[in-house]
Formats: sequence, structure tokens, C-alpha cells
Amino acid sequence: MAKPKVASDWLCGCAGCHMSFLDIDERIVKLIELVDLRSTPVTDLKHPDASGVDVGILEGGINNTANEEVAKLMRKRSKILIALGDCAVFGGVPAMRNFFTIEESLQRAYIDTESTDSEGQIPSSPELAKMTRVRAIHEVVPVDIYIPGCPPDADIIFYALSELAQGRMPNLTEEKIMWN
Amino acid sequence: MVTVTIDDKKIEVPEGTTVLNAARKAGIEIPTLCDHPQLQPYGGCRLCLVEVEGARTLQPSCTMPVSDNMVVHTENEKIRESRKFVLSMIFSERNHFCPYCQVSGGDCELQNAAYDEGMTHWPLQPNWQPYPVDASHPFIIIEHNRCILCRRCVRACGELVGNFTLGIEERGANSKLMADLGTPLGESTCIGCGTCVQVCPTGAMIDRWSAYQGKETEVESHKTTCVGCSVGCSLDVLTRDNRLVRIEGDWEGTTNQGLLCEIGRFTPMGEERNRVLTPMVRKDGGLKAATWDEAYAVIADKLGSVSEGNKQIASFISTRLPIESMYFFKQIFKDNLKAKTATIVNGYLKGSRNLVGEYGMATSLDDVKHADCAVVIGEDITKDHQVVSFFVKRNLPAGTKLITVSKEKDGLDNFAHVSIKNVKLADAIKQLASDLKALEIMKASQNLVFIFGGHAAECEECTKAMLDLAKQFSAKLLNTYDGANGKTAQLFSLVSTDDFSKIDAAYVALGDETVSQAFTQTLEKVPFVVVQSSYISSLTANADVVLPAHTWLEQNGHYMNMEGKLSEAKASLSAPESSACNADILKNIAAKLGLNISADWQAALQ
Repeated sequence: MAKPKVASDWLCGCAGCHMSFLDIDERIVKLIELVDLRSTPVTDLKHPDASGVDVGILEGGINNTANEEVAKLMRKRSKILIALGDCAVFGGVPAMRNFFTIEESLQRAYIDTESTDSEGQIPSSPELAKMTRVRAIHEVVPVDIYIPGCPPDADIIFYALSELAQGRMPNLTEEKIMWN
Repeated sequence: MVTVTIDDKKIEVPEGTTVLNAARKAGIEIPTLCDHPQLQPYGGCRLCLVEVEGARTLQPSCTMPVSDNMVVHTENEKIRESRKFVLSMIFSERNHFCPYCQVSGGDCELQNAAYDEGMTHWPLQPNWQPYPVDASHPFIIIEHNRCILCRRCVRACGELVGNFTLGIEERGANSKLMADLGTPLGESTCIGCGTCVQVCPTGAMIDRWSAYQGKETEVESHKTTCVGCSVGCSLDVLTRDNRLVRIEGDWEGTTNQGLLCEIGRFTPMGEERNRVLTPMVRKDGGLKAATWDEAYAVIADKLGSVSEGNKQIASFISTRLPIESMYFFKQIFKDNLKAKTATIVNGYLKGSRNLVGEYGMATSLDDVKHADCAVVIGEDITKDHQVVSFFVKRNLPAGTKLITVSKEKDGLDNFAHVSIKNVKLADAIKQLASDLKALEIMKASQNLVFIFGGHAAECEECTKAMLDLAKQFSAKLLNTYDGANGKTAQLFSLVSTDDFSKIDAAYVALGDETVSQAFTQTLEKVPFVVVQSSYISSLTANADVVLPAHTWLEQNGHYMNMEGKLSEAKASLSAPESSACNADILKNIAAKLGLNISADWQAALQ
């Protein structure tokens, strides 16, 4: 039987969850004996197979229309979708801009920043994705497994992936949950 | 007694027991948030819902009394879903961001409750309406975004402390914790006791001093006794890497049951004085570092010769020091060296009688806790011995009467039913004896307590007037005795005269106490002054010998509180290498003077 295919991507996140994933260190050698790691932001392939993958992993929340599309694509092409990290599960740190309007956020980021020495300009190219309220992934597409944490411990990520690799759904309880 | 079956366990409990407590008796823990063993049940969080056979909906176990033959289930699918739902509702009600909260990672009861239910996520977003942060108070910050409206702080401020500063304004989704009628906490009637911070289950109530300094799993806990005053509250001192992190009231302490005042909880955190790091001896006009042997030699030599020459010695000890130190001090200075003065550093022990002993009616703080009328004479217990004021104030709503008798305005006046003021305290007490309303109240009382201190305890006229009234109304008398070992000082007869002129040598066993300018000035003319102190001050700067001593947190010892109850203090911190235990210093001085002294203070206090 072919090895299960795994793909990942990041949305409105800091890449910390992927760094934590890489913190499984030499265990990655064992992992790729069990799974076929397809596309990730840190490897060569960037998009999940059109023929579909078994497990899709998303880091980061939904912050604009581009994130929405990536999330929908990953959901469509994955049998099981994992929301990895607090941003994906809850919205996380970027979600704190929901306290302000999008206009206020853009103003602060592009015009009022202390390091902006010229006039400052809010990017307005029509090719840019439109900003939305920051949302957890499950508010846009259904999610099967939630791994909270900022970032989740490498051991927890390894546990979840190795359970899946052996055909079981990971059961996150007690010390494996750490959204603190 | 009623019989109730919980999770197939059949038990018998007294009538009126709540389902929650009955379950606990059966060894079953039902999760709660707003419940607290010291507070009246509130039933607000709904986390404790259980299934009661025959009831239409799930019932809150914390408020529901058991009925005979009730059958309860605390674990099933419906209840688990309900708990997750309740927690989801609580999380989405406001803005709970765990990553940067000081209690996140083990110290948050809300987070722990969600972990216990195995919640990896919940379906709702936070409120996104920002709630305010009230940082106006010097010790306490209120982060409203984290408040779950459990009302533990409100109930504690009322039921335990009797201050009733905290309350909830508005209703429903607009409910918000407020101080007084919406004043910022720092400008309110808040007395800074910090009980609200200790009971808060989430990170909403922030202790400015200790936030982020260490989680419960990272700090060490030391049970000891507070030496702030003669109540002797039981403390839980939290330290980390030999540094003081936080002081909490010990919920199991029989005297205070978890309560503390700002003097016990927060004042020690603000300690900024510099330590005395080495013994010092005055040579050629200036204080120079010396060895312990040198310092002891100078002391023994000088004190010995002064004593033999029948000159005058004045000696002082701080009541913050343990009985062990006080006993050595008494034997050295009062009994052996026959010092003209052997007394306490701060206080009013001039000729104080053992009034309570004479009267014969032993009074305890339990009597105050159950008094239906309290008469407070000569002292503002909202400033000194504050925890005693909590015991009085918290019973006022239930009908306890309060009478204050004092020289000037005092913090209890607003709560008092009768308030008598006179510039001369003895006259105020006599006024009490003829005040019709007060007499009526005292006559109707079944558990009358007179709490007195300050001038009332030292003045003959006052004590006589009080004693007469107490006898007339069968009142119990409680002397507050000022400092931590104030009663011990009185039992050791450490009284004094006022005349410090013509003193040839002075010894001040200061410990970590702060002395007033007036006291320092009194000793300026004394030719030879020894100060045993933890901290540098103008007193040590003017002394001839300075001995570095341990602070209250660094020593073991015993204390006798105002009730005559003994408690033990245990060190929470290791002292700097060069300083010494206060009792050891005195013992060494006795040895150098060739005095034979006993360590059996228990026998001495019989």
C-alpha cells in the first residue's frame, strides 16, 4: 500500500509551527519512512497534489481572501485537515487586530509606523488580496484535528503525525493540549 | 440525616448539605469555578451542573441541597457536553488570550477546567469588544477581559473582609466588576488587603508585585507566621531562587483562615532598605568593618564595665523578633545587667497591666468572630490589626452592633452604630458608660467584646473605666498588644520609664524593624550604642557597634499573638552569609559577658 500523503501550508502565521514541526529533529527520517511528505512551504513542492492528499496541515489563521482560497484548496484536496497552532485553531496573535477596524490597522501599519520616514502609502493594487476579519480556520472550512499551542511542542506534532501514519486518529488530552 | 446516591455510591449526609459537598464526601470531585470553600455558594458559572433523576434540567450542585433518596449522576455524555458548552460560552463572553497571561500554564482555574474536559478548541470567537484594564491601584490591576463574573472577589470583599468595596454593575452582557459605584480601584474605598487577588480563579485580578515571577509549580511554598502585628496571621510565603515572590494567606490558618491585610501581604514586597552586610565597630570617628569576635569583644567590654560601674543601660528589643530572642534579651538586660530600661522599640508598654489576666475572662479572636456587639476602644483597627476589623465588619450586615470610642476620627466610624469621641480617652470611656443608645446596645448583647489598644491599654484611668464597664455588661476584653510579640513583651515585664537622660550605654535589638526619627534622636547623646539590625538606617549610622541580623523571613522562632496563642515562624529565605540569627547574637553576647542564661522560654511563659 502506498504511503499516506501529507501536505502543509501556512496562512496568517509566523512559521513558528512549522519550525516546531522541524524540531522533531532526526525523527523526521523515521517519519518520511512512514509518510510521503508532499508539498510544504519549506520543501520544493508548494501546492497539494491535484489528486489529493491524505493529511493536510494548515498553520496560521485566515486574514485575507488569499488565505481563504488556500484554506479551501487544502480542504478540498485533503481527506483529513489539521489546524496546527493557536492561529489556526483560534485566530491567535494576528486575531488581535480584530479589536480595530481594517482601516485603523492599515493606517497604523503603513502610515503611522515610527520607522516610516516618507509619507507612507497603503498598498492598493487590485491584485492584492482583500483583508478580512481574522478568523480561525474552522470558521471557513471544516477542520478534523485541532492541535493548539504557540507553537505546539514538537513532541505533540510528532505524536499526532505518527498516530495518523499508523492509521489512528490522535487523541490529544492532558499534557498534549497546550494552548497556554 | 438524608440518604443520597451519587454515581451509584450511597451516602448519608446532614440535611441542608449541597449536592457538591455530598459528592465530595463520597470522594467525587465535580468541577467548579465560582465555588470556594470559604464563600457562600453562588451558582453563577454553571460548570457544576449534574443530573438529578426526576429533574427536568441539569442542576447546579453547589447550591442545590440534597433531599432524601435523591439520585445524582455526575458523569455522562450530556453532562460532559454541557461542561464544554459552559466553558465555550465563558471563553467567548470576553477576550481570553492565554499566551501572555500571568496565570496561564497551570495557575488558571478556567484554563485547567477546559484542559480537564479535553478541549483542544471551541467553536466561538472571543467577544472582540475590548474591556478596560484598571491599573489605578498600587497593588492590584483589574483586567476585565479575563473576568468570568464568578463574583468570588465580590463575595470575598464582603463576606470575608467586610469591606464591601467590590460589586457588579449593570446586567446580562453588560455586567461588569466595579469598585464602589464605578470608581477606579485606586480611588475607591479599597483597603488593599488583596483577598480578591487570592481568590480570583483567572488572571483577571493581577498582583503587580508577583505577576510573571513564577507559576505555582516554579515557586517554593513556606508556611510561617506574619510579624506585622499581634494577630499573627498564618502565611504561605512563596519564594523562587531565594527571592520573595508573593505572600499569601494560608487558607488553613486557624487565626486568619486565609485573610491578610496590606501590611502582611504587600508591604514586605516593597522593602527597599539596604542590608547591613558586616559587623561594624566605630574606630577613629567612623564605622569600620570588623569581625564578629572584635564586635562581641567591644560590646562585652563596654557593657560589662558600665554595668559594674553601676552606670545606666537602656535596652530595647523589637516585638517583631521571636520569643527566643526576647527571652535571651530579658535575661541579659533586665535580669542580669539590671538595665534601667529593658523594653520594646515601638509601643506603649509603659506600665501596661495584664488587664485581661486580672479580669479573668480569656478572650480569643473566635469571640470577636462571633460577637454580636463589638466595642473598639482607643485604637483604629482599620489601620492596626486590620484583620480584627475584618472579623467585626463582616458581621455587621447580619446584625452585629459596633461602637467606637476614641480620641479622634477613625476608620470604623462610618460603620459604627455609636461613635464616641473625646480628646481625653478616659473621658470618652466614661461617656460610653452614660450614652443611652450604647448602653441599650450593650445590655441587649449576648456576646459582647471590648477590643482595646493604644492609650487605652497603658493609662490607669482608662483601664479602670473599661474594667468597670466590662464587668457590668459581662463583656470579654481583648487587648491588641501592638506588635507581633507584644503580649510576650508584657509577660516578660519589659516595661520602661520615659527618662532616657543620663544613659551611658544603649543596646537596640532592632531586627528588621523601622525606627522613628524621634527614637534615633533620643539615643544620639548616649555615649555607647550597639544596634543589632538587618538594615542600614540613621540609627545604625550613629551607632558604635552594628551587628548584621536576619530578617523576619530568614529566621525560625515562636510568636505569641494577642490571644496568647503560640505559633511558629519558619524561615523562607536564606540570609546573607555575613548576617547572624538574632537569637544567636544575643546568646553570644551573654556568653561573652559570662552570663548563664536559659533557652527554656516555654517554662518562663507558664
